[in-house]
Amino acid sequence: MAETIQRPSGPAGSISEEKRQRLLELVRGRTAARPTDLAEDEVMVWPSLVVVEALSAVVFTFLLLATAILINAPLAEIANPTVTPNPSKAPWYFLNLQELLLHMHPSLAGVIVPTIALVAIGAIPFIDRSPLGVGILFTSDKGKKITIFSAIYTFVLVVALILFDEFVGVTATLQGTVPEVVYQYIIPVITMLALIALLGLLIQRIFQPTRREMVMAFFTGFVVAFFVLTVVGTAFRGTGMDLFWPWDVESAH
Amino acid sequence: MRREHTIADRVTSSALWRSIVRHGYPDTQRNQALVIASNVFLHLHPVKIKRYATKVTYTFCLGGLSFFMFLVLTLTGVLLMFYYVPSTDQAYTNMQEIEASVTFGMLMRNMHRYAAHGMVIAVFLHMCRVFYTGSYKPPREFNWIVGVILLVLTFLLSFTGYLLPWDQLAYWAITVGSEMAGAAPIVGEQAQFLMVGDYEIGQATLIRFYTLHVIFLPLAAALMMAVHFWRIRKDGGISGPL
Repeated sequence: MAETIQRPSGPAGSISEEKRQRLLELVRGRTAARPTDLAEDEVMVWPSLVVVEALSAVVFTFLLLATAILINAPLAEIANPTVTPNPSKAPWYFLNLQELLLHMHPSLAGVIVPTIALVAIGAIPFIDRSPLGVGILFTSDKGKKITIFSAIYTFVLVVALILFDEFVGVTATLQGTVPEVVYQYIIPVITMLALIALLGLLIQRIFQPTRREMVMAFFTGFVVAFFVLTVVGTAFRGTGMDLFWPWDVESAH
Repeated sequence: MRREHTIADRVTSSALWRSIVRHGYPDTQRNQALVIASNVFLHLHPVKIKRYATKVTYTFCLGGLSFFMFLVLTLTGVLLMFYYVPSTDQAYTNMQEIEASVTFGMLMRNMHRYAAHGMVIAVFLHMCRVFYTGSYKPPREFNWIVGVILLVLTFLLSFTGYLLPWDQLAYWAITVGSEMAGAAPIVGEQAQFLMVGDYEIGQATLIRFYTLHVIFLPLAAALMMAVHFWRIRKDGGISGPL
């Protein structure tokens, strides 16, 4: 049905003759063009957004169903406090912390580092308050380059550090010769702080970034470190939490 | 042209239907606005939205997907609760029964587990999307913090659920996790005891994790989600180029 057109109400003569709408013709059926108060860059949520939501819900329902039909979730033997599996692993999203645990004191790896990371993430909007780059992925071309630089920097260094600790071994080398606090606290803390500072320094020198871009460099560092540590902890750590190739590590999850 | 009088027409013009749905078929702008505004679930949305906000390549649906996973987890979780008793004597047997003899039990368990993994991944990626599009900037600072809290709640939900099957995987994963909490400076021992409820993981731990998993944490997450979604509207809708 076409939209009904109402004659202007009110006492006759209250609207001047030129302004009065004249009914030219009545056409039944759907109209091609409808009157709208939508701005140029706006759409109606129904249907434009709800369609996307409904479709992605359907797609992911099927994906979940398909995965659930094809692959069964693991169920090991009944819990037994007297039999410790080797390795014993936390759920995969905490394996980044368990990986850190291999390189520093448990309080540092399990509590202090993640707490600082979470607080720092929460503080981001109060560090970078400029409206610069809202709604634009990576803010700018420079932002994209900084993100890639930071990702490669972090990836290479985290992998290098894990390999260094595995094959040279800070703890293995220093154990017995210096107090525990040196290799459990001091060296890891200095290493982490120095590498974060070096990232900031390099970004500053190479890119002369805005504050937003600097925050992006550090956040990217966090995400990539989180990712590398999780993958290494999940797929590359086998018996005795030693490094193995993923195909030699029994999947637990 | 006379409109056909179909069964659908009869249904939608019945008194019962009209008492529930107070708008016509949403093919006019007025009805499209009403369908959003007069529905308690849809009215989370505004009636109109910026065109870029519907682009899948802007949001990748990640926030919506996190919520979708939460809904799947709630549904499958309720079904699993019918068959699961949080007792160290029964939990593992219940798991075997769910897998072997409950109709669609295995499917429900699998979906619950994969949706849980999916939710952790979706929430984390959603955080990345929000960060890289600069959507945390004022006036959305507080909603970013609500998001960080929701990330932590998601981890906790998943972690507390991990113990429930009461198998070797569950037992030792929580052992590793609780030892990490025990390493906290100053309050470590107390934190670990609070979490485990005993000197070693057992019945006290199972009932704590179960209660947190099925009541406290889902309610906390739902509450924070309500704030999160509401704040999106109050902070001017989804972010976009200025």
